[in-house]
Amino acid sequence: MTRREFVQFVLKTASAIAVGAYFITDKVSPRRFIRAVRQKKYPGSVKQLSNINTQGKWRG
Amino acid sequence: MKVQCRLCPKECLIKPGQSGECRVRINIDGVLRTVVYSYPCSIHVDPVEKKPFFHFLPGTKTLSLATVGCNLHCKNCQNWEISQANPEDSEAFFCPPEKLVELAKTNQCTSLAYTYTDPVIYYEYTLDSSKLARATGIRNILVTAGYINKEPWKELLQYIDAARIDLKSISDDFYREVCSATLKPVLDCLVLTKASGVHLEVINLVIPTLNDKPQQIRALAQWVKVNLGSDTPLHFSQFYPQYKMQYLPPTSAETLDTARQIAMSEGMQYVYIGNITSETGQNTYCPGCKTLLIERSGFTVLKNQLKNGNCPTCGQKIYGVWK
Repeated sequence: MTRREFVQFVLKTASAIAVGAYFITDKVSPRRFIRAVRQKKYPGSVKQLSNINTQGKWRG
Repeated sequence: MKVQCRLCPKECLIKPGQSGECRVRINIDGVLRTVVYSYPCSIHVDPVEKKPFFHFLPGTKTLSLATVGCNLHCKNCQNWEISQANPEDSEAFFCPPEKLVELAKTNQCTSLAYTYTDPVIYYEYTLDSSKLARATGIRNILVTAGYINKEPWKELLQYIDAARIDLKSISDDFYREVCSATLKPVLDCLVLTKASGVHLEVINLVIPTLNDKPQQIRALAQWVKVNLGSDTPLHFSQFYPQYKMQYLPPTSAETLDTARQIAMSEGMQYVYIGNITSETGQNTYCPGCKTLLIERSGFTVLKNQLKNGNCPTCGQKIYGVWK
Protein backbone atom coordinates (compact mmCIF):
# COMPACT_ATOMS: atom_id res chain seq x y z
CA MET A 1 0.00 0.00 0.00
CA THR A 2 1.36 3.39 -0.97
CA ARG A 3 1.21 6.36 1.37
CA ARG A 4 -1.52 7.94 -0.82
CA GLU A 5 -3.63 4.78 -0.64
CA PHE A 6 -3.15 4.59 3.11
CA VAL A 7 -4.31 8.19 3.59
CA GLN A 8 -7.34 7.53 1.37
CA PHE A 9 -8.17 4.43 3.38
CA VAL A 10 -7.99 6.32 6.68
CA LEU A 11 -10.14 9.18 5.35
CA LYS A 12 -12.80 6.83 3.95
CA THR A 13 -12.96 4.82 7.17
CA ALA A 14 -13.18 7.93 9.31
CA SER A 15 -15.95 9.44 7.18
CA ALA A 16 -17.89 6.17 7.18
CA ILE A 17 -17.71 6.05 10.97
CA ALA A 18 -18.76 9.69 11.23
CA VAL A 19 -21.78 9.21 8.93
CA GLY A 20 -22.81 6.04 10.79
CA ALA A 21 -22.48 7.78 14.15
CA TYR A 22 -24.60 10.68 12.88
CA PHE A 23 -27.45 8.41 11.84
CA ILE A 24 -27.34 6.51 15.12
CA THR A 25 -27.25 9.58 17.33
CA ASP A 26 -29.81 11.33 15.13
CA LYS A 27 -32.47 8.92 16.46
CA VAL A 28 -33.74 11.42 18.93
CA SER A 29 -36.00 10.97 21.92
CA PRO A 30 -38.33 9.42 22.82
CA ARG A 31 -36.58 6.07 22.96
CA ARG A 32 -39.77 4.21 23.82
CA PHE A 33 -43.30 4.45 22.47
CA ILE A 34 -45.27 7.37 23.80
CA ARG A 35 -48.73 8.44 22.76
CA ALA A 36 -49.10 11.30 20.33
CA VAL A 37 -50.79 14.40 21.69
CA ARG A 38 -54.22 15.17 20.37
CA GLN A 39 -54.36 18.13 18.01
CA LYS A 40 -57.72 19.80 18.56
CA LYS A 41 -58.12 21.49 15.20
CA TYR A 42 -58.56 19.31 12.12
CA PRO A 43 -56.39 20.50 9.21
CA GLY A 44 -59.05 19.63 6.62
CA SER A 45 -62.70 20.62 6.53
CA VAL A 46 -65.19 19.41 9.14
CA LYS A 47 -68.68 18.49 8.02
CA GLN A 48 -71.94 17.53 9.71
CA LEU A 49 -72.44 13.89 10.57
CA SER A 50 -75.13 12.33 8.40
CA ASN A 51 -76.40 9.17 6.76
CA ILE A 52 -74.45 6.66 8.84
CA ASN A 53 -77.13 3.99 8.57
CA THR A 54 -76.14 2.99 5.07
CA GLN A 55 -73.42 0.41 4.53
CA GLY A 56 -69.99 1.92 3.99
CA LYS A 57 -68.77 2.03 0.40
CA TRP A 58 -65.25 1.19 1.57
CA ARG A 59 -63.89 -2.33 1.86
CA GLY A 60 -63.60 -3.78 5.33
CA MET B 1 -36.28 19.29 17.10
CA LYS B 2 -37.00 16.05 15.30
CA VAL B 3 -39.26 13.50 16.96
CA GLN B 4 -39.35 9.80 16.35
CA CYS B 5 -42.68 8.02 16.19
CA ARG B 6 -42.37 4.56 17.73
CA LEU B 7 -45.87 3.40 16.91
CA CYS B 8 -45.13 1.22 13.91
CA PRO B 9 -41.99 -0.50 12.65
CA LYS B 10 -41.29 2.35 10.25
CA GLU B 11 -40.29 4.47 13.25
CA CYS B 12 -40.43 7.68 11.22
CA LEU B 13 -37.99 10.37 12.21
CA ILE B 14 -40.12 13.46 11.71
CA LYS B 15 -38.82 16.97 11.17
CA PRO B 16 -40.74 19.96 12.58
CA GLY B 17 -43.83 20.69 10.51
CA GLN B 18 -43.72 17.35 8.76
CA SER B 19 -45.69 14.15 9.15
CA GLY B 20 -44.73 10.51 9.28
CA GLU B 21 -45.43 8.15 6.41
CA CYS B 22 -48.98 7.71 7.69
CA ARG B 23 -49.66 11.43 7.03
CA VAL B 24 -51.56 11.92 10.30
CA ARG B 25 -48.85 11.93 12.98
CA ILE B 26 -47.14 15.28 12.83
CA ASN B 27 -44.24 17.00 14.54
CA ILE B 28 -45.56 20.34 15.76
CA ASP B 29 -42.97 22.36 17.65
CA GLY B 30 -41.06 19.25 18.66
CA VAL B 31 -44.15 17.40 19.92
CA LEU B 32 -45.63 14.38 18.16
CA ARG B 33 -49.30 15.12 17.53
CA THR B 34 -52.18 13.17 16.03
CA VAL B 35 -54.37 15.36 13.86
CA VAL B 36 -57.16 12.83 13.30
CA TYR B 37 -58.19 12.19 16.92
CA SER B 38 -62.00 12.52 16.98
CA TYR B 39 -62.10 13.21 13.25
CA PRO B 40 -63.19 10.12 11.30
CA CYS B 41 -63.70 10.58 7.58
CA SER B 42 -66.17 7.74 7.40
CA ILE B 43 -68.75 6.28 9.81
CA HIS B 44 -71.25 3.62 8.80
CA VAL B 45 -73.35 0.86 10.28
CA ASP B 46 -72.13 -2.36 8.66
CA PRO B 47 -72.86 -6.03 9.18
CA VAL B 48 -69.96 -7.62 11.03
CA GLU B 49 -69.67 -10.11 8.14
CA LYS B 50 -68.49 -7.25 5.91
CA LYS B 51 -65.21 -6.87 7.84
CA PRO B 52 -65.18 -9.94 7.35
CA PHE B 53 -65.75 -11.63 10.70
CA PHE B 54 -67.46 -15.00 10.38
CA HIS B 55 -66.85 -16.31 13.91
CA PHE B 56 -67.66 -13.18 15.90
CA LEU B 57 -71.24 -12.36 16.86
CA PRO B 58 -72.69 -13.38 13.47
CA GLY B 59 -75.60 -11.36 12.19
CA THR B 60 -74.84 -8.31 14.34
CA LYS B 61 -74.28 -4.71 13.32
CA THR B 62 -71.07 -2.84 13.97
CA LEU B 63 -70.47 0.89 13.93
CA SER B 64 -67.54 1.18 11.53
CA LEU B 65 -65.21 4.11 11.31
CA ALA B 66 -61.94 5.29 9.85
CA THR B 67 -59.80 8.35 9.64
CA VAL B 68 -57.70 9.20 6.61
CA GLY B 69 -54.14 7.90 6.34
CA CYS B 70 -52.28 4.61 6.46
CA ASN B 71 -48.79 3.47 7.38
CA LEU B 72 -48.74 1.11 4.39
CA HIS B 73 -48.97 2.14 0.75
CA CYS B 74 -50.26 -0.98 -0.95
CA LYS B 75 -50.36 -0.63 -4.70
CA ASN B 76 -53.59 -2.64 -4.73
CA CYS B 77 -55.34 -0.70 -1.95
CA GLN B 78 -59.09 -0.86 -2.37
CA ASN B 79 -59.66 2.17 -0.15
CA TRP B 80 -56.80 4.30 -1.44
CA GLU B 81 -58.96 7.41 -1.75
CA ILE B 82 -59.00 7.68 2.03
CA SER B 83 -55.96 5.62 3.03
CA GLN B 84 -53.60 7.67 0.87
CA ALA B 85 -55.25 11.04 1.50
CA ASN B 86 -53.78 13.95 3.40
CA PRO B 87 -55.84 15.25 6.33
CA GLU B 88 -55.65 18.79 4.97
CA ASP B 89 -57.23 17.69 1.68
CA SER B 90 -60.02 15.70 3.31
CA GLU B 91 -63.39 16.12 4.98
CA ALA B 92 -64.11 14.66 8.40
CA PHE B 93 -66.76 14.57 11.09
CA PHE B 94 -66.21 15.68 14.65
CA CYS B 95 -66.92 12.55 16.63
CA PRO B 96 -65.13 12.12 19.96
CA PRO B 97 -65.13 8.71 21.70
CA GLU B 98 -68.24 9.53 23.76
CA LYS B 99 -70.16 10.30 20.59
CA LEU B 100 -69.03 7.03 18.96
CA VAL B 101 -70.35 5.00 21.87
CA GLU B 102 -73.60 6.93 21.83
CA LEU B 103 -73.98 6.33 18.07
CA ALA B 104 -73.31 2.63 18.50
CA LYS B 105 -76.03 2.38 21.11
CA THR B 106 -78.63 4.40 19.24
CA ASN B 107 -78.03 2.31 16.11
CA GLN B 108 -78.21 -1.04 17.95
CA CYS B 109 -74.60 -1.88 17.18
CA THR B 110 -72.98 -4.44 19.46
CA SER B 111 -69.50 -3.35 18.51
CA LEU B 112 -67.28 -0.57 17.25
CA ALA B 113 -65.18 -1.52 14.23
CA TYR B 114 -61.97 0.42 13.59
CA THR B 115 -61.59 -0.34 9.93
CA TYR B 116 -61.46 0.88 6.27
CA THR B 117 -57.96 2.41 6.55
CA ASP B 118 -55.84 1.17 9.45
CA PRO B 119 -56.63 1.80 13.13
CA VAL B 120 -52.91 1.63 13.89
CA ILE B 121 -52.42 5.17 12.60
CA TYR B 122 -55.26 6.63 14.64
CA TYR B 123 -54.00 4.69 17.62
CA GLU B 124 -54.83 7.15 20.39
CA TYR B 125 -58.40 7.63 19.13
CA THR B 126 -58.85 3.87 18.88
CA LEU B 127 -57.41 3.27 22.33
CA ASP B 128 -59.55 5.86 24.12
CA SER B 129 -62.69 4.85 22.23
CA SER B 130 -62.05 1.18 23.02
CA LYS B 131 -61.65 1.86 26.71
CA LEU B 132 -64.87 3.81 26.82
CA ALA B 133 -66.78 1.31 24.70
CA ARG B 134 -65.71 -1.62 26.84
CA ALA B 135 -66.77 0.20 29.99
CA THR B 136 -70.25 0.58 28.51
CA GLY B 137 -70.60 -2.99 27.19
CA ILE B 138 -69.83 -2.30 23.53
CA ARG B 139 -67.28 -4.67 21.95
CA ASN B 140 -64.26 -3.47 19.98
CA ILE B 141 -63.03 -4.97 16.73
CA LEU B 142 -59.97 -4.08 14.69
CA VAL B 143 -59.51 -4.52 10.97
CA THR B 144 -55.82 -4.00 10.39
CA ALA B 145 -52.70 -4.93 8.48
CA GLY B 146 -51.00 -5.56 11.81
CA TYR B 147 -48.02 -3.34 11.08
CA ILE B 148 -47.40 -2.05 14.57
CA ASN B 149 -44.73 -2.28 17.25
CA LYS B 150 -45.25 -4.73 20.08
CA GLU B 151 -45.45 -2.27 22.96
CA PRO B 152 -48.40 -0.19 21.67
CA TRP B 153 -50.08 -3.31 20.29
CA LYS B 154 -50.02 -5.04 23.68
CA GLU B 155 -51.54 -1.97 25.30
CA LEU B 156 -54.34 -1.78 22.73
CA LEU B 157 -55.12 -5.50 22.81
CA GLN B 158 -56.24 -5.21 26.43
CA TYR B 159 -59.40 -3.47 25.21
CA ILE B 160 -59.98 -5.36 21.98
CA ASP B 161 -62.42 -8.25 21.56
CA ALA B 162 -61.60 -9.30 18.01
CA ALA B 163 -59.01 -8.58 15.35
CA ARG B 164 -59.10 -9.31 11.67
CA ILE B 165 -55.55 -9.06 10.43
CA ASP B 166 -54.31 -9.10 6.85
CA LEU B 167 -51.58 -11.55 6.00
CA LYS B 168 -50.98 -10.16 2.56
CA SER B 169 -48.38 -12.73 1.62
CA ILE B 170 -45.91 -15.03 3.28
CA SER B 171 -43.15 -13.34 1.28
CA ASP B 172 -41.09 -10.45 2.61
CA ASP B 173 -40.38 -9.40 -0.97
CA PHE B 174 -44.10 -9.01 -1.57
CA TYR B 175 -44.45 -6.77 1.48
CA ARG B 176 -41.51 -4.65 0.39
CA GLU B 177 -42.50 -4.33 -3.25
CA VAL B 178 -46.28 -4.07 -3.01
CA CYS B 179 -46.92 -2.59 0.43
CA SER B 180 -43.73 -0.70 1.32
CA ALA B 181 -43.54 -2.69 4.51
CA THR B 182 -41.94 -5.87 5.84
CA LEU B 183 -43.29 -9.27 6.77
CA LYS B 184 -41.83 -10.04 10.19
CA PRO B 185 -43.67 -7.39 12.24
CA VAL B 186 -46.96 -8.65 10.80
CA LEU B 187 -46.16 -12.25 11.75
CA ASP B 188 -45.19 -11.10 15.26
CA CYS B 189 -48.43 -9.16 15.54
CA LEU B 190 -50.48 -12.20 14.51
CA VAL B 191 -48.77 -14.46 17.03
CA LEU B 192 -49.10 -11.89 19.80
CA THR B 193 -52.79 -11.39 19.06
CA LYS B 194 -53.60 -15.09 19.16
CA ALA B 195 -51.53 -15.61 22.30
CA SER B 196 -53.34 -12.76 24.05
CA GLY B 197 -56.67 -14.54 23.69
CA VAL B 198 -58.25 -11.90 21.45
CA HIS B 199 -60.48 -13.49 18.81
CA LEU B 200 -58.52 -13.57 15.56
CA GLU B 201 -59.43 -14.03 11.91
CA VAL B 202 -56.88 -13.83 9.10
CA ILE B 203 -57.45 -12.61 5.58
CA ASN B 204 -55.35 -12.95 2.45
CA LEU B 205 -56.14 -10.98 -0.69
CA VAL B 206 -55.24 -13.25 -3.57
CA ILE B 207 -53.68 -11.21 -6.39
CA PRO B 208 -53.13 -12.83 -9.79
CA THR B 209 -49.44 -13.46 -10.56
CA LEU B 210 -48.23 -11.94 -7.28
CA ASN B 211 -49.32 -14.29 -4.49
CA ASP B 212 -51.69 -16.79 -6.08
CA LYS B 213 -49.35 -19.69 -6.77
CA PRO B 214 -50.37 -22.93 -5.04
CA GLN B 215 -47.03 -23.18 -3.23
CA GLN B 216 -47.44 -19.64 -1.90
CA ILE B 217 -50.96 -20.40 -0.66
CA ARG B 218 -49.75 -23.66 0.88
CA ALA B 219 -46.88 -21.95 2.67
CA LEU B 220 -49.24 -19.31 4.05
CA ALA B 221 -51.74 -21.90 5.28
CA GLN B 222 -48.96 -23.93 6.87
CA TRP B 223 -47.64 -20.90 8.69
CA VAL B 224 -51.10 -20.02 9.99
CA LYS B 225 -51.72 -23.58 11.14
CA VAL B 226 -48.39 -23.94 12.94
CA ASN B 227 -48.29 -20.49 14.53
CA LEU B 228 -51.92 -19.55 15.07
CA GLY B 229 -53.67 -22.91 15.11
CA SER B 230 -55.84 -24.81 12.68
CA ASP B 231 -58.98 -23.33 14.24
CA THR B 232 -58.12 -19.77 13.12
CA PRO B 233 -60.62 -18.68 10.45
CA LEU B 234 -58.79 -17.97 7.21
CA HIS B 235 -60.37 -15.87 4.45
CA PHE B 236 -59.18 -15.75 0.86
CA SER B 237 -60.48 -12.62 -0.78
CA GLN B 238 -60.87 -11.66 -4.41
CA PHE B 239 -58.60 -8.95 -5.77
CA TYR B 240 -60.20 -6.34 -7.95
CA PRO B 241 -58.06 -3.97 -10.09
CA GLN B 242 -57.57 -0.80 -8.07
CA TYR B 243 -55.22 2.14 -7.54
CA LYS B 244 -51.79 1.31 -8.98
CA MET B 245 -52.66 -2.24 -9.98
CA GLN B 246 -55.26 -1.71 -12.62
CA TYR B 247 -53.24 -3.72 -15.10
CA LEU B 248 -54.01 -7.02 -13.36
CA PRO B 249 -57.24 -8.99 -13.83
CA PRO B 250 -59.61 -9.83 -10.96
CA THR B 251 -58.89 -13.08 -9.16
CA SER B 252 -60.87 -15.91 -10.73
CA ALA B 253 -63.36 -17.98 -8.76
CA GLU B 254 -61.30 -21.08 -9.61
CA THR B 255 -58.16 -19.62 -8.05
CA LEU B 256 -60.04 -18.79 -4.85
CA ASP B 257 -61.61 -22.24 -4.73
CA THR B 258 -58.18 -23.80 -5.23
CA ALA B 259 -56.73 -21.65 -2.44
CA ARG B 260 -59.52 -22.80 -0.13
CA GLN B 261 -58.97 -26.44 -1.01
CA ILE B 262 -55.22 -26.13 -0.44
CA ALA B 263 -55.67 -24.54 2.98
CA MET B 264 -58.20 -27.18 4.00
CA SER B 265 -55.92 -29.95 2.77
CA GLU B 266 -53.25 -28.48 5.06
CA GLY B 267 -55.59 -28.96 7.98
CA MET B 268 -57.16 -25.50 8.35
CA GLN B 269 -60.64 -26.00 9.75
CA TYR B 270 -62.45 -22.83 8.72
CA VAL B 271 -61.52 -21.48 5.31
CA TYR B 272 -63.66 -18.96 3.46
CA ILE B 273 -63.64 -17.08 0.20
CA GLY B 274 -64.87 -13.52 -0.08
CA ASN B 275 -65.57 -10.55 -2.35
CA ILE B 276 -67.24 -13.07 -4.67
CA THR B 277 -70.34 -15.23 -4.53
CA SER B 278 -69.75 -18.83 -3.61
CA GLU B 279 -72.11 -21.68 -2.91
CA THR B 280 -70.15 -23.18 -0.03
CA GLY B 281 -67.13 -20.92 0.46
CA GLN B 282 -68.94 -18.56 2.80
CA ASN B 283 -70.58 -21.17 5.02
CA THR B 284 -69.27 -22.54 8.29
CA TYR B 285 -69.16 -26.31 8.59
CA CYS B 286 -68.34 -28.43 11.63
CA PRO B 287 -64.75 -29.64 11.20
CA GLY B 288 -65.75 -32.88 12.94
CA CYS B 289 -68.97 -34.09 11.33
CA LYS B 290 -69.23 -31.56 8.44
CA THR B 291 -72.69 -30.36 9.49
CA LEU B 292 -73.63 -27.00 8.01
CA LEU B 293 -73.53 -24.65 10.99
CA ILE B 294 -73.86 -21.14 9.56
CA GLU B 295 -75.19 -20.47 6.09
CA ARG B 296 -74.37 -17.10 4.57
CA SER B 297 -75.12 -15.23 1.40
CA GLY B 298 -72.94 -12.18 0.93
CA PHE B 299 -72.97 -10.37 4.27
CA THR B 300 -76.26 -11.93 5.36
CA VAL B 301 -76.57 -14.84 7.77
CA LEU B 302 -79.33 -17.08 6.42
CA LYS B 303 -79.15 -19.77 9.07
CA ASN B 304 -77.24 -20.22 12.32
CA GLN B 305 -77.56 -23.66 13.90
CA LEU B 306 -74.87 -23.33 16.57
CA LYS B 307 -75.93 -24.28 20.09
CA ASN B 308 -73.95 -22.19 22.58
CA GLY B 309 -71.00 -22.21 20.23
CA ASN B 310 -71.13 -25.97 19.69
CA CYS B 311 -72.10 -28.16 16.76
CA PRO B 312 -75.71 -29.34 17.31
CA THR B 313 -74.90 -32.75 15.79
CA CYS B 314 -71.62 -33.87 17.35
CA GLY B 315 -71.20 -31.25 20.07
CA GLN B 316 -67.80 -30.05 18.90
CA LYS B 317 -66.84 -26.63 20.23
CA ILE B 318 -66.48 -24.13 17.38
CA TYR B 319 -63.80 -21.42 17.70
CA GLY B 320 -65.33 -17.98 18.01
CA VAL B 321 -67.28 -15.46 20.07
CA TRP B 322 -70.93 -16.32 19.75
CA LYS B 323 -72.66 -14.20 22.40
